[in-house]
Amino acid sequence: MYLEGNYGMQTKPTPGLFKRNPPIAGEAEAIERAKNGDPDAFSKLYALHKRRVYTLCLRMLGNVSEAEDMTQEAFLHLFRKLGSFRGESAFSTWLHRLTVNLVLMHLRKKGLNLVSLEETINPSEDDAPKRDFGSRDTQLAGSVDRVTLERAVASLPPGYRMVFVLHDVEGFEHNEIATMLECSTGNSKSQLHKARLKLRELLRQQELMAIAGFGKEGA
Amino acid sequence: MMAESPTLYDGENYDSMTVAQFEERLPELFATGDGKVSEDARFANFLAANPDCAALVKDLEVIAAHAKSLFEPVHEPSDDVWANIASKLTAAEDETVH
Repeated sequence: MYLEGNYGMQTKPTPGLFKRNPPIAGEAEAIERAKNGDPDAFSKLYALHKRRVYTLCLRMLGNVSEAEDMTQEAFLHLFRKLGSFRGESAFSTWLHRLTVNLVLMHLRKKGLNLVSLEETINPSEDDAPKRDFGSRDTQLAGSVDRVTLERAVASLPPGYRMVFVLHDVEGFEHNEIATMLECSTGNSKSQLHKARLKLRELLRQQELMAIAGFGKEGA
Repeated sequence: MMAESPTLYDGENYDSMTVAQFEERLPELFATGDGKVSEDARFANFLAANPDCAALVKDLEVIAAHAKSLFEPVHEPSDDVWANIASKLTAAEDETVH
């Protein structure tokens, strides 16, 4: 029987390769034990990484049910592939890449393979950010709170959201994103820029609504 | 197929760039170096002369910086997810044994 343990997370920043995903206390030992078939060790890995994997799936898919299904698939896949983890990158990075690839495969199966992803991830003209130059009083008020930003990211068109989450949140490089999305690095850069422009537009709208007296819950 | 962003050349006169040229280069500018376009001395004169562009650059930098705060997860999967994983792993184990 596989039981989910309650394990605390301790992170210790280390430079270089692991700067974005520093090793977690007890993780290396759990990986080795899980590789040898220890079910408690695998449940520890789940406990340590379930939130990040689920949050990544949820941001990419925008749907709780699908995100839970893909989280399940990611950990089942992890169980099968764990033996191939050599520690050349941080475990979280490796797990997140595995998760991203599974989610993309899922999206392609849903029909995104009908045309190339490069074209598919380009949203319609209506969803594209408006040109901002020449407008007045354009700057955001300053700091952006996490909840507001999370809401704005959730409302991005899927293609923009995908690149934004992979680059700005998850920390993948453009060449890695290009490989994962089967597009050019130029396209990844362009999509990221459009995503940020669209977010700016959405955040400004939310600021204006707040100024006009609309509650954040209703925004 | 989308065109690659224009290459930046050393020695290019950024002061005389048009707003459209700046806009065209922005995706590449943010993708190179540390992405801090507002602190890049090459664009100081241009941004000083074009406050709307300066405001845009600042906002995009704020958004990119705040995005990092989303890395720490806040969402949690339901208990059903682990129950399903555990059940599938147990079933697979049983199949292997029998």
